[in-house]
Amino acid sequence: MSTHSVRDGDADVPRSAAVEETRRRSAELFETLHGSPAGSPAHRSARDELIALHLPLVEHCARRFRNRGEPHEDLVQVGTIGLLKAVDRFDAERGVEFSTYATPTVIGEIKRHFRDKGWAIRVPRRLQELRLQLGTVSAELTQSLGRSPTPRELAERIGCTIEEIVEGLESGNAYATLSLDAGDDADDGGPASMLDAMGAEDEHLEHVEIRESIKPLLDALEAREKKILMLRFFRNMTQSQIAEEVGISQMHVSRLLSRTLDQLRTALDQD
Amino acid sequence: MTHSGPGAGDSPRADVELRVPADSAYVSVLRTTTAGLAARLDFTLDDIEDLRMAVGEASAIVLDAAAEGADLTARFWLGQRTITVRVEAPGTGSELEQEDDFAWQVLTTLADEAKTETVAGTFAITLLVTAAPLESGV
Repeated sequence: MSTHSVRDGDADVPRSAAVEETRRRSAELFETLHGSPAGSPAHRSARDELIALHLPLVEHCARRFRNRGEPHEDLVQVGTIGLLKAVDRFDAERGVEFSTYATPTVIGEIKRHFRDKGWAIRVPRRLQELRLQLGTVSAELTQSLGRSPTPRELAERIGCTIEEIVEGLESGNAYATLSLDAGDDADDGGPASMLDAMGAEDEHLEHVEIRESIKPLLDALEAREKKILMLRFFRNMTQSQIAEEVGISQMHVSRLLSRTLDQLRTALDQD
Repeated sequence: MTHSGPGAGDSPRADVELRVPADSAYVSVLRTTTAGLAARLDFTLDDIEDLRMAVGEASAIVLDAAAEGADLTARFWLGQRTITVRVEAPGTGSELEQEDDFAWQVLTTLADEAKTETVAGTFAITLLVTAAPLESGV
């Protein structure tokens, strides 16, 4: 499989200087990594730098799985786990470029993520696709109508029945959102992570009055969940407005709100 | 389960009635039914999800008050772009306490009207939700 290593130097197509530099640095770092005892500062810093150096590779792999319903950030996260494994297992003696070696590991990790965790319950493929379509079409309609669409409008646009829309919305609720600080794939081009989208100080929340009794409960929530909850229940913004404000889809807002309410209820029950 | 007679809108009879065991595992059935009904009334996705959440929240409050082994009953009155949901179970809820509860804040935000009552040993929460006007042309 690895027949390309030696001839590359005098290939007709000149490889970009950046790639060349990455490979050189990578080889250097692996030398340090394998030449220093595990746990030593030199070992650790070489490992860290190797990971940082190859993060673009993970990004690249993750992008191949875009539009499949998982937030890009989640995919980068699991892909990075694959990268870590690859760094730890790589044997420089074999004469294979690290990127060649790491790519299948990274992709394998991302695929595993889809297989294991994408759906909390088994949802037929038809519904998974409908859910994705619902996300896109409802975002479009929200834009053009200036309000959230009705199932009838969605059905007309997609060319299916209202029953199917209701089914699709239901399956959306079965879809597990895994990472609390992941962005939302449906809003590609938006901020990379939701946490980036929220400043520490938020003008919308400054003047909100919250009863003392609720404060500790709210403070125990993740920053993003807390913000969404407050915007909905204390600022009375609609889910679509919140979606726009936070930079995620309305369906995602809905899922987060439901989940946060469940969490709060459980927390209250335990008191 | 369904019987929508003439003049259903202002009739005192429930258009849809659903009885499930008073167990949190069945709340999702109520939520799903609610969403299905609201979709047929041309509610927007925002409204549907709000209503779904409101019914979940109301059910949770009623469940807390419900007697052991009781049934949870949800009644739905469907109007012109409005839906009234009454969730009840045998038991007693202390209404004063609820006024101060976060769950109550949630309910009153999600619904246009919310009220609790205990009548003849049955604790009930009634929610009225009106769909947002679809002023924008399609």
